[in-house]
Amino acid sequence: MMKKITAISLFTFLLFVLISPLKTFAGFPIGKYRNVIVPTFSYYRQTDRFDDKDNVIKGAPGTSFTSYSSNLFIGYGISRRLDIIATIPYLYQVNVVTPGTKLVDAGLGDAVVGFSYNLVNSNFVRFLSIGVSAIVPLYNIHNGPSPLGLSAYGSEVKLMYCGNLPKDVATKGYFNLELGYRRYYTTQGPDQISLLGTLGYPVSAHDQLSLDILLWRSFSSNKDFDANIFAAHDYSFFKPQLNYGHTFTRRFSAFVGGFYVPFGVNTGVGYGGSLLAVIKL
Amino acid sequence: MLILSFRAFAQEAEETGDMVLKAIPQNKNALFNGSEPIRYKLEVRNNTKKQQNGHISYLVTTDEGKKVAGDSVRINLRGGASRDIGFTIPKTAAGTGFYRINFMVKTPDYDDTVRRVFGVNPEKITSKLHRPADFDAFWKQTRTQLAQVPGDYQVQERKDLSTDAKKVYSVEMRSYGGIIIRGWLVVPRDGSTFPVHYRVPGYVVTLKPNMDNDDFIAFDLNVRGNGNSQDVINIGTDNYSVVNIENKDKYIYRGVYMDCLRGVDFLYSHSNLGIDTSKIFVEGGSQGGSLALITAALDKRVKLLTMQVPLYADIHDGYSISESYEQQVFPFKVFRKYQKQHAGFSWEKFYATFDYYDPQNFAPMVKCPVLMGIGLLDQFCPPRCSMALYNHISSTNKEYVCVPNSTHEVDFNYFMFQNLWLREKFRIP
Repeated sequence: MMKKITAISLFTFLLFVLISPLKTFAGFPIGKYRNVIVPTFSYYRQTDRFDDKDNVIKGAPGTSFTSYSSNLFIGYGISRRLDIIATIPYLYQVNVVTPGTKLVDAGLGDAVVGFSYNLVNSNFVRFLSIGVSAIVPLYNIHNGPSPLGLSAYGSEVKLMYCGNLPKDVATKGYFNLELGYRRYYTTQGPDQISLLGTLGYPVSAHDQLSLDILLWRSFSSNKDFDANIFAAHDYSFFKPQLNYGHTFTRRFSAFVGGFYVPFGVNTGVGYGGSLLAVIKL
Repeated sequence: MLILSFRAFAQEAEETGDMVLKAIPQNKNALFNGSEPIRYKLEVRNNTKKQQNGHISYLVTTDEGKKVAGDSVRINLRGGASRDIGFTIPKTAAGTGFYRINFMVKTPDYDDTVRRVFGVNPEKITSKLHRPADFDAFWKQTRTQLAQVPGDYQVQERKDLSTDAKKVYSVEMRSYGGIIIRGWLVVPRDGSTFPVHYRVPGYVVTLKPNMDNDDFIAFDLNVRGNGNSQDVINIGTDNYSVVNIENKDKYIYRGVYMDCLRGVDFLYSHSNLGIDTSKIFVEGGSQGGSLALITAALDKRVKLLTMQVPLYADIHDGYSISESYEQQVFPFKVFRKYQKQHAGFSWEKFYATFDYYDPQNFAPMVKCPVLMGIGLLDQFCPPRCSMALYNHISSTNKEYVCVPNSTHEVDFNYFMFQNLWLREKFRIP
């Protein structure tokens, strides 16, 4: 009899390893009344490109496309399941089209504003969520194509599944899978499909490594090559990115990562990196 | 990653055997509102190689044992075959309350019963508060007496128990009646201030340093007679709850309840150890659940309350329900035994003391957010009593989790939710 009563006391309190996933704004619910702010600085550069057969075409000597972008992601947990999210980008681009001919563009890009809703959770360990967002150009779209984006309003639907790795795979670590579809509302679209997989693994109480694998396909009747990845229409690429993250406090983490595009079609052979902070309020 | 220990469901035990019955309520938590049908699916599997012919029946009784519904169907199952059978309990049979539902299989070779419980409109369950007229005065006076006892706090770092991640302190203090009580304080090293997880013990349970919590200071207090607080009171489980039960002023729980408040005094006087006194939550299971509730009721410095299967809740109805048990279980097994051994100790006399201690009588005084977990198969703390207590809680910011196949315990999922709930309430990132 008493053994049973004792049993309740044997519940040890739960221990969460608070390694913040790099993609804090992925399918993990933010949590009711809580905020997440993620400022990101990204660097992207390309000199060579892939043709429509995945062959690497060397860029003309002295030409390149370089982008320095800053993103501000803000998320707020409206309820345990529903988050409102917004991403606001600021771009600074240098496109050297011929030696000595440099096009510099800067300004706000395409904002993504929407909601994420947790459809199902599995014992509060894994989460299946759906995200629905509007893509809103924050630049003038009435004067023809802009280098800051696709010059069109759009929408995005994303299905996200994330959580702890299964115990028989690893005793710690997390994963995130995202399948997204974007549509831009112009005659040339494009329609875009993306598949992102992330594996994160804590290497110490405060440090983690994560690997992102991104597959991106953009469909459009406009097949022209555009060195500016933000304004290109018809292309595809495979982009792995390796990240290192450090948790300074429960409220502040920072991540640095690097990527390279080893395979692509009608896009640049891009490389670069990103630095981001995760601030939880 | 999570670390916890939990007990296997009774459900798992049914997966073996010659004939396997699995009762699945239409609503996963086996709670129904009064306007919806109460349906069960019964999965029947014949694990033998032989044809089984017989009957499957169900019987619904109130939690006091009165029959309200029943039915029977014939079943013919060849060896290795399985079949799903649907049962709908007539709505008129089950009003607000909790009901036992037994599924029985009877064949020439096999005879077994699967016992389940379901609830109807649990948030509408009511119970009478048997609150003595001088209840408030009694506890006010008790608290005044506690305040007159100096804490004489002793805090000693235990390097032998500490780790790279956490410092462990043994703590000692003087409580009601001058009795020394002890506990454990575990402080994470990774940070300067932390909210506090204040845990109070189950029935004669020894609490040890809680090393599993990275985001809270864990304070585990052994009230008098529990764990390392047995200098004066050292009584086994069979008698603990009846110590001085014939005298409301001397009943053991008077001091026990005050021990819990003394624990809050300790926390408030030791903010130098990194304690964020604005974020103290109190938690416990079984007796600890009730102690946690009483602590939150009497001391508003506690900001959140989480409790599982609170013992002694709604003691009057608990007694009525216990009368229907084929075999007595705790706590009434102990009370009845005491009564048999003490001529003249009537139930009236029992209530004359216990009404001062029934956790339900403290429930209206709880104003902070509350999370409660219950197991529907719990006989120690019948779900009706837990819900009656819950419904008396004044706080409107309250939630409960029902674990349908659990006895005197909750499950993994509850604790996962509790963790998220705490983070939400304390805005912990």
